[in-house]
Amino acid sequence: MKDKNPLSPHIQIYNWHISSLISISHRITGIINIIIITLICFWVSLLLLGSSNYELVQNFFETFIGKFFIVGTVWSFSFQALCEIRHLFWDLGYGFELKTSNITGLAVIFGSFIFTILILGKNIIL
Amino acid sequence: MIGATKKWIFLKVSSAILVPLILWFLLNLVSFYDKSYEEVLLFFTSQPSKFIFSLFIIFAYFYSALSISEVFEDYIENEKLKNVANKLLYLSAIIIPVLTLFLLFRLSL
Repeated sequence: MKDKNPLSPHIQIYNWHISSLISISHRITGIINIIIITLICFWVSLLLLGSSNYELVQNFFETFIGKFFIVGTVWSFSFQALCEIRHLFWDLGYGFELKTSNITGLAVIFGSFIFTILILGKNIIL
Repeated sequence: MIGATKKWIFLKVSSAILVPLILWFLLNLVSFYDKSYEEVLLFFTSQPSKFIFSLFIIFAYFYSALSISEVFEDYIENEKLKNVANKLLYLSAIIIPVLTLFLLFRLSL
């Protein structure tokens, strides 16, 4: 039994609910975030090349893809952080009721977009 | 305490630490990503941002390695393939942050 853990059924077998949407999105953003962090580590290593070569990075962030990368990073990490907070409350024994679970699920979805706007807005305003 | 319980505790502790680190990183990222080389270099090499960024990288990789190994556990049936995937994951979760921290300290010199 130790080496024969059951696999999760394929996601298409379930009807979609807020909880399943959040669960699969949490996993997908988790994998995306580790790729983003690896790219950020690569960004730090590019600093070693000096200011003349760093123009490549600056030019990238001025493009549409560069801006999309920053917006996507802020949303993906915001979503991940809100999911973690939801999970931590579950671990403390709160929020298991179906209605509460749906409300907190929606709060994670809308909250991640609101956080993204607030964080990016802070940079635009200041 | 069995291994799975230890893994769960590590996952929960690292996620609780990571939440404020994520917020700190995002707030700083949006304010320096398009700045000049000198300003970006100053952010990564001056304190306390160097110390907090180092913590962020360490906990992010630690947490990601543990949580992605759960994804492997759920979706990879072949035991050999799962073991190889987990070993590559744990290896990269050690090498990349260590290398990045080394580069950060080289940049500070």
